[in-house]
Amino acid sequence: MRIVPFPGHDGASTEETWLAELDAALSGADEGPLADSWRELREDVRALAPPMTADFERQLAQRIAERRSHRRTLKVHGTLTRWLHRRGRPLGAAIAAAISVAVVAVVIAGPSQSGPPREAAPAPAFRSAPSASSAGPASAPARVQQLGASVTLTATPSEVQTTADRVARLAVSDGGFVQSSRVQVQQAGTSEANLMLRLPSERLSAAIASLERLAPVRAESQSLQDITDAYDAARRRLADATAERQALLRALSQASTQGQIDSLRERLSQARTAIAQARSALAGVSRRASTAEVEVTVLGDTHAGSEGLTLHRGLEDAGRVLTVTLIVLLLAAAGLVPSALALAALVTGRRAWLRYRRERALD
Amino acid sequence: MRTGLDDVTFDALFRECASDVHAYAISLLGDRPTAEDVTALAFERLYRSRSRLDRRRGTARAWLFAIARNAALDELRRRRRQPQCELEEHRPLERGAARDSGGGWQAALEQVERRAIVRDALSALPLRERELVLLKFHGQLSNAELARALGISESNAGTRLHRALTRLRAQLLELDRKEVA
Repeated sequence: MRIVPFPGHDGASTEETWLAELDAALSGADEGPLADSWRELREDVRALAPPMTADFERQLAQRIAERRSHRRTLKVHGTLTRWLHRRGRPLGAAIAAAISVAVVAVVIAGPSQSGPPREAAPAPAFRSAPSASSAGPASAPARVQQLGASVTLTATPSEVQTTADRVARLAVSDGGFVQSSRVQVQQAGTSEANLMLRLPSERLSAAIASLERLAPVRAESQSLQDITDAYDAARRRLADATAERQALLRALSQASTQGQIDSLRERLSQARTAIAQARSALAGVSRRASTAEVEVTVLGDTHAGSEGLTLHRGLEDAGRVLTVTLIVLLLAAAGLVPSALALAALVTGRRAWLRYRRERALD
Repeated sequence: MRTGLDDVTFDALFRECASDVHAYAISLLGDRPTAEDVTALAFERLYRSRSRLDRRRGTARAWLFAIARNAALDELRRRRRQPQCELEEHRPLERGAARDSGGGWQAALEQVERRAIVRDALSALPLRERELVLLKFHGQLSNAELARALGISESNAGTRLHRALTRLRAQLLELDRKEVA
């Protein structure tokens, strides 16, 4: 009878104890028949496997040595490349990303050319007003519009008067005039100048651009009012008055009695007055369309500088750049985080799938 | 923090484990050329990934056998057939003779017979449990290292190993009873 010894255990040993005994026996830390049995079983199992041939062992060692020498060559010639591949890649990507974000932020924020943010000015629709004297038929439906604008400039208190004078000269040079002006300069407190300009409507955009170059712009607005109905009404009134005068003249040429002649002459006088009034009204509407009313305010601000950098402006610019940078980063994170999560889920899922497929090979 | 595997440590690991990896592969796969391919692939992959070794997560030996196991399972999956174990019967006799110091031919004969029974008992195990026993004994891995190689928890690995060895024990007893009968 042959007994195949097998390391048994009493039923009271827990699995953990059993595993600990197994490890202790296999590592040689434990002695006794039980430990000997484990070691014998291990040697029996190991002995069943055919050994590695000497040829294969030599080939394997040679292959590893060749690979190592190839890698050493790469190391000699590409130390920096390897460093970049190992450690520099994440660092380089981070630096590139930071530079990109900063460039985008600066481009979006833009350099500050004036003080606080300005009100957005609506784009007016500039149309040349038709001549006040023309009463001919309209060839196309053209609108008659009255344009207006308001510009607030800033200057140091000592430069308010100078800036107001420059505004007035600019209005004249652009073919307009100063309708009214008021300048208040104080030694202590605020200084302010208010000018009401009348400028040719077709040159309003250029005039505003010229005003913006005189001093920093704090606020700007433009307006547009359609006065086509008023213009048409004035034209019709003139046409009617003219037509009535023509009719009276024809009637006068046919008058036979002195009484008729006197009456017709009286009415002709009234018609001439009506025509004059109609022409005046039409001229007024035309003038409204052909000239734009521009209100210019010059505020005396101790922090205002016509040109150059100030700490205040620099801080404002820096704040704007930081705000835009934060927004860009948030947008990037909003886009990248879900992508990174999805990629991580894909990688994890792929690993789990590969592992599942491998384990199935044992089934 | 990853510590990696330097060339000296890699060479030592190669000298120490190459035959064990080969023995595990050939015991599992059943033919020498495939086992050699798997062994070479395991060391190739270990060399390529040696900088990523994290010693906090396991020893280099466990890592090597995890790589070897994956390579062997990939091969099994490709072949999709049970390996034919053609083990050389004269080896146990040679090893037994080398170990015996005073038992003589009778002890050597008992060793040969015993190992034949062990071989049959191993063959009778399901592939999954057989693979576990081979990994444990050829890899000479502790329970913690075995868990690392399998990619499961230590308690789970212990449970599986206990079940596999218990079944092996039952097979051995059964075969021994038949032999005696």
